[in-house]
Amino acid sequence: MFRLPIDSESFPLGKGPMVMLILFLISTLFIFGRSEEDGENLEFWIFANTHYEEYQARVPIFEAQNPGVNVQLINFGGTMHDKLLAAMLSNFGAPDLVEVEITSIGRFLKGAIDEVGFVDLRPRLESEGWMEKLVVSRFTPWSYRGKIFGIPHDLHPVVLLYRDDLFKAAGVEMTEVETWDDFIAAGKKATRDLDGDGEVDQYAIVLDRRTESDYFSLLLQQGGGFFDEEGNVIIDSELAIETLEFFTALFNEHKIATPVYGTWHGDPSNFAAMQDGKILSILAPDWYVGILKSQVPQMSGKWKAIGMPAWHPDGRRTTTRGGTMIGMTKQCENPDRAWEVLKFTYFDRPGLVNRYETTRIIPPLKSAWDAPIFREPDVYLGGQPLGALFIELAPDLPPRYQNPYWSEGADLLNDAIFAAVTEKQTPREALTDLAEKVRALIAKDQGRWGKL
Amino acid sequence: MRKKQTTYRFWNQQQKIAPYLFIAPFYLLFVIFMGYPLISSLLMSLYEMRGFQSRIFVGIGNFTDLFRDPIFWKSLRNTAYFAVGTLTLQLPIALLLAILLNSKFVKGKNFLRLAFFAPVLVAGVFVAIIFNLVYDQRAGLVNHEFVLFGKEIGWLNEEKYVMPAVILTGVWQWAGFNMIYFLAGLQGIRQELYEAAAVDGANWWQAFIHVTLPSLRPVIAFVFVVSMIGSLQLFDLPFILTNGGEPADAGSTIVMYLYKNGFQFMRLGYAATIGWVLFFIIAVISIVQLKLLGIFRDE
Repeated sequence: MFRLPIDSESFPLGKGPMVMLILFLISTLFIFGRSEEDGENLEFWIFANTHYEEYQARVPIFEAQNPGVNVQLINFGGTMHDKLLAAMLSNFGAPDLVEVEITSIGRFLKGAIDEVGFVDLRPRLESEGWMEKLVVSRFTPWSYRGKIFGIPHDLHPVVLLYRDDLFKAAGVEMTEVETWDDFIAAGKKATRDLDGDGEVDQYAIVLDRRTESDYFSLLLQQGGGFFDEEGNVIIDSELAIETLEFFTALFNEHKIATPVYGTWHGDPSNFAAMQDGKILSILAPDWYVGILKSQVPQMSGKWKAIGMPAWHPDGRRTTTRGGTMIGMTKQCENPDRAWEVLKFTYFDRPGLVNRYETTRIIPPLKSAWDAPIFREPDVYLGGQPLGALFIELAPDLPPRYQNPYWSEGADLLNDAIFAAVTEKQTPREALTDLAEKVRALIAKDQGRWGKL
Repeated sequence: MRKKQTTYRFWNQQQKIAPYLFIAPFYLLFVIFMGYPLISSLLMSLYEMRGFQSRIFVGIGNFTDLFRDPIFWKSLRNTAYFAVGTLTLQLPIALLLAILLNSKFVKGKNFLRLAFFAPVLVAGVFVAIIFNLVYDQRAGLVNHEFVLFGKEIGWLNEEKYVMPAVILTGVWQWAGFNMIYFLAGLQGIRQELYEAAAVDGANWWQAFIHVTLPSLRPVIAFVFVVSMIGSLQLFDLPFILTNGGEPADAGSTIVMYLYKNGFQFMRLGYAATIGWVLFFIIAVISIVQLKLLGIFRDE
């Protein structure tokens, strides 16, 4: 009979170490012995759960249409951008395709343009005629120095979501509000101390004074920005200063705005204030409506939406906030196949309709907008067809120019906004200081390695 | 005869080599995971990244920039605020809890020990998420239940309340953990010392000052140094609780600023510089603490 040359009795130190060694050998075989799946493998990294769920349902269809192609979806959640940064720095381990969030893309554009870790997709987009089929201003957050490093997942137009019942109770018909001056007049009527205790019980609007989100949306609406198309710092322009003066006046002069409850608009505290009737309106991108529906379903039927008040009659009634792109990394070994996956997940009409169904996100592909779903009444908004409003506003989206210094700039912009609203600095001082800091930062870098 | 000689030589060699082979895995892992990154980060602090592929030598430029950086100083102040809050609030509470649990008058000691220790088993990320709700301006436990404040305090919205909120959260999470060290120290104090003090007419307070505290000195020194190091490395709690240090960097700490520079701003050289400055701060404070607590003193 066959016997092993060693047994548990003669093994050094006894049974325990022998079992550990056997387990070690088995797990090593399991880890390194796993063969790659046959066929062509593509890796696709995602950071958002809703996107991951959408692609999980859609990718098997692509794989069935393309036998031999395996698309591996990996959802890293919030840590994905750091992992991608590490993979690009080490020039090893990056996926073929990846989704990047709008506030994170700047850091990937640092350095010489040919060192950026993403493939320039402009040649493919232009040769296949996709540029005309998508909202062209939506490429600006993903473009730098003439190259397009990503394709927009969304448009994220912004509307003014308001409590029709409470505004009406204050004698205001919000559908008649067309400009910010109209809104201030309406807001003064609606911001009220209901119980006479000397404290305001309901505010016309909730705005975030901790971060750039609301201020920057207002600035974009006017056609302003932090950087211009050439990369110059323009955050101390008269337009930017006037916008911050207007923003601070909503809190301090007109007293119709309340700071966001909690740390951001999606904070449970903010939702609680909404349910208490303390907040009468909010600047809401399409994705935020999706969050409201899932987090405060009990408010169904209480909200209505109009385009944002314009800065002047017949002015732009929307802006944009947030966003995601899909990019192809330079480590991708089969760009043609990756491009096919990209087109399937981003340009396929049934998929985009399905995306709207689950997330309320309006797609950038214009040909998808005629799908009936976008005109269906929205129960959450008392039957108002919200999709139709978003689509009506979408062609007028302002550009948002991207820059490698956006992360540093946004961090300092948060401080500047807070300083202005809390009256530690005037808006002019806050933005002038900010612009000087960012210009000094850029000048220091350029002094070290020359203009890139 | 020849074969026997060869075997002997092999055995002799093996005896010489074996110890090195036994300790080799540690040194190998140390060089790969500690030695190389340490030297690499020190070198990195003398460079600045230029995109993903190349870097520029800047000498001590990152260090001079850092000492002129107001956000670094603000982060340092916040970190020091937390460290002082930890030492003056958390450790006395931990010691008080340990004394209570060590007394014979308290019932259900095992349950209480577990209850006070349990928060440390919760990951920092979850603690931050839970306390985000606790400090909630409208519906949070603190504002909603503690009516003595009489108004909705924006714990995480107003600059002056941010660090106190972080410190109180730290107390909840770590006081029970430090209590265990103090408890072990208290249980190691010989009963005869208290009996001798009682014979000399010492009351409870005098026994505490002249017996308990001196006997606990090594434990106190250990807890002080470890808590100080932990405080200076504070990151996850304020990062999640204050959404990255907002408002106006009121919740920013040194390690958070390091993270932002390294991963959000892609300034790896500057981040490495912050790391090394933090290392020196920790080293100096730890040595001073140990010196003041008399750990280097000959008994």
